[in-house]
Amino acid sequence: MENQNEQFGQIYDQYIEKIYRFVYLKVNSEETAEDITSKVFLGAWKAYSAPDSKIDNIGSFLYKIAGNAVIDHYREKGRTKTVSSDILPEIADTESSQYNKAVLSADINVVKTAIQKLKKEHQDIIIWHYLEDMPIANIAKLTGRPAGTVRVMLHRGLKELKGIIQEN
Amino acid sequence: MAKLTEKKLIEQIKGLKIIKPRQEWASLLKSQILAKPAKTVSIMDVISSIFYQRQIAYAFATLLIMIVGVLGFAQYTVPGDALFPIKKIAEQSQANLTGQTTLNKEIANLSNRVNDLAQVAKDGRKESIPSVIVEIKANASELAKNLKDNPVQDPVAIKEIATTLKTLASVAGTDLSENQDVKDLYQAVVISQIADLEKATLTEEQKETLAGAKELYDAGKYSQALEELLAISN
Repeated sequence: MENQNEQFGQIYDQYIEKIYRFVYLKVNSEETAEDITSKVFLGAWKAYSAPDSKIDNIGSFLYKIAGNAVIDHYREKGRTKTVSSDILPEIADTESSQYNKAVLSADINVVKTAIQKLKKEHQDIIIWHYLEDMPIANIAKLTGRPAGTVRVMLHRGLKELKGIIQEN
Repeated sequence: MAKLTEKKLIEQIKGLKIIKPRQEWASLLKSQILAKPAKTVSIMDVISSIFYQRQIAYAFATLLIMIVGVLGFAQYTVPGDALFPIKKIAEQSQANLTGQTTLNKEIANLSNRVNDLAQVAKDGRKESIPSVIVEIKANASELAKNLKDNPVQDPVAIKEIATTLKTLASVAGTDLSENQDVKDLYQAVVISQIADLEKATLTEEQKETLAGAKELYDAGKYSQALEELLAISN
């Protein structure tokens, strides 16, 4: 049990920032991001410590839980009639974050807002690859798409992002 | 806006790494999660739970047996024994549960202690006699005070006290007839008995015996007076 705690502690340290960031970019609220991230790690710990636990890739597992938790969050808030993953960025929490005001530079704030407007499939892939340095092969595994498709999606995502920024 | 190259855009995306959770929140969450045991119920959990419940049941049963055992042992104790206070508490609890009057409780206490004295005298436990006598004196004093304060008493109760005093007088080697507390009790009982018999219809012989008892009372010979009075009552 002690060993399991220690192992999960290391996983937590490795992923807490990544998962929080992943969630934050989707909900645009520190409070909501903390709440959802808490649920993600609690759920992960429950699954990880289960006697019959079979988690092959903890990173993928955490991102999957996080993605689902974000969808659940919007579903609970009743802010979407059809919780289409594509429109989630458009309905992200509008409250202004401290990051927006104080921490993020203007350029980075622009790109953050633009990422939130991306289609979900592009958004996830761009975050994972460019922000979290996840190799394309891993993204392919995580999304269940061929690596080539992921490369094309990355290219399209960047193009879409660039278009959003330039529009503003 | 200057032309946004792909490289510049990727740099800006990487700049989002500045987004980090609050350190204190992250530390607190970690400690909370790792402090929380996984809520999965395994067979071992069930077994240990049953075992734990059984342990409690066994502990409770053992405690119950010990209490019953101690109470059982306490029944055979006399004043001065370590477990005597338990016997006294048990007697008082029983009296309270059966709703006895104060007089009846005091009579029962005196009767119990006199029986204790008879037992230790019979067993030859001389070392216990002084402690029992102390208790008897205290009970006799309480009872005498009660009878003086409330002279009109139940004849059955008075007869019971008289019988107890007779038993006390018969215990070998423990003459308490000259003890002031016991004398006071004799006096109170004799007064009540005389008052009771004076109201009753007596034969000539009984009237003579009552007159003799009164004389003995006047002479301060309360125990003898009581003997006479008991002869009339019987």
